[in-house]
Amino acid sequence: MNTPSEHIIRSYDDELKRLTGEIVRMGEIAIAQIEGAVDVVERRDSRAAERVVANDDAIDQLEASVSHDVLLLLARRQPMARDLREILAALRIAADIERIGDYAANVAKRSMALNINAPITPVRSLPALAEAASGLLADVLKAYRDGDSELARQVWERDADLDALYTALFRELLTYMMEDPRNITSATHLLFMAKNFERIGDHATNIAENVWFLATGEPLTEARQKGDLTASPELQPRA
Amino acid sequence: MSATPRIHTRSESSETVAVSGIGAVKVDVRALNFYYGRFHALKNVSIEIPERQVTAFIGPSGCGKSTLLRTFNRMFEIYPDQRAEGQIVVDGEDILKSRRDVALIRARIGMVFQKPTPFPMSIHENIAFGIRLYEKLSKAEIAVRVESALTRAALWDEVKDKLQQTGTSLSGGQQQRLCIARAVAIRPEIILLDEPCSALDPISTAKVEELIEELKNDYTVVIVTHNMQQAARVSDRTAFMYMGELVEYGPTEGIFTKPSKKQTEDYITGRFG
Repeated sequence: MNTPSEHIIRSYDDELKRLTGEIVRMGEIAIAQIEGAVDVVERRDSRAAERVVANDDAIDQLEASVSHDVLLLLARRQPMARDLREILAALRIAADIERIGDYAANVAKRSMALNINAPITPVRSLPALAEAASGLLADVLKAYRDGDSELARQVWERDADLDALYTALFRELLTYMMEDPRNITSATHLLFMAKNFERIGDHATNIAENVWFLATGEPLTEARQKGDLTASPELQPRA
Repeated sequence: MSATPRIHTRSESSETVAVSGIGAVKVDVRALNFYYGRFHALKNVSIEIPERQVTAFIGPSGCGKSTLLRTFNRMFEIYPDQRAEGQIVVDGEDILKSRRDVALIRARIGMVFQKPTPFPMSIHENIAFGIRLYEKLSKAEIAVRVESALTRAALWDEVKDKLQQTGTSLSGGQQQRLCIARAVAIRPEIILLDEPCSALDPISTAKVEELIEELKNDYTVVIVTHNMQQAARVSDRTAFMYMGELVEYGPTEGIFTKPSKKQTEDYITGRFG
């Protein structure tokens, strides 16, 4: 049922298409924001960073129109079955993409703080995280567009790789701070940036769960392998 | 059409039995075929209707849902050329073969129609009339029964001061609740509702739906409706029929969120071309 036939009422189809279009557009902007954010970090370009922060508005506005459209669809159409799941998923996915946008803007914002101090080496690890995060988002959006539950499940599993990258960077930064306390300010900002990308991955898995539900009508509940080990005690700095 | 209805395992016993997931079965329809002359209107329909729950039948016009409902109290027998084959087992007795007076069957299985059909008599008489057919009661006892039926049908407060007025003087919604009260008054076990709200405004519809919710505490309710949202709201189980066949039957929540048959999905999402 990946390509449901058309409704008897054609405007219902138009409204659903519009909703899907808005989600896809939100996702595309979010991916561009992630790429833009990590780019301004690498180039230490504070002015460009401001633009990334300002661009987040576009995502927020789209989220508002998704909410508005969902409200109208529910009121007008009293959707059932797949339509109902589609509308519910759109509302939830929009909220996830909105958060992703916030995280990307926050990375850009912190880059301005980073630019005040001398560059630190671990910055080099950040693009890999950003790439993994935007890769997950791009794939889960493709899964959404195509109603591809299998691809959604893969994204859901692949988040563990992003968690592993984050854990590695966390350790690197910890060592860095222990070596020279003057690095603490920059390293802390960097840590938050890395955490933002890790959180983006978590929102991508939320989206994956919604795509799975939308396509199959079942919840995606298997216990996922968590690669983020930063909360385990052996990683605490030794005194 | 190759659709096989999804039905539960049937017990061999003809007694009312508990079936996993649906509770006690009140009406057990087995391989029912129905003909209007040569037209084959119900094709091998088998379905178990649980006791004290609301079961909704949905499907496009002409799919056989009202026909099925009418077989439950042998309403079709009024017409020549109509015949049913198969079994409709209610509490262990096949009502299609029952030699009992059909009026007694109909007393156990009440029915309310699409258009309100009050008798052209007083509100009180509309209800008392049916009770007197089956029971010998004093005037006072009848008055108690009338009040209780009208209360059950959420109509008492609106009509208690005008019980002697004619039933036809009531609004459409009130008339329909009067008909439900009339059905309830003779204490049936099963209440069949054939599109009970299709001629009613939203407020009257809400009152009838509220009433259905109440009724299932004591009665087995079977409702035929064209309003899918209504089926989703009031029923515990939903059956989708198409062209005389039972396509899908299951818990209402599942039918409306994740139907297993494409035909059901297409119908409830408005894709039937």
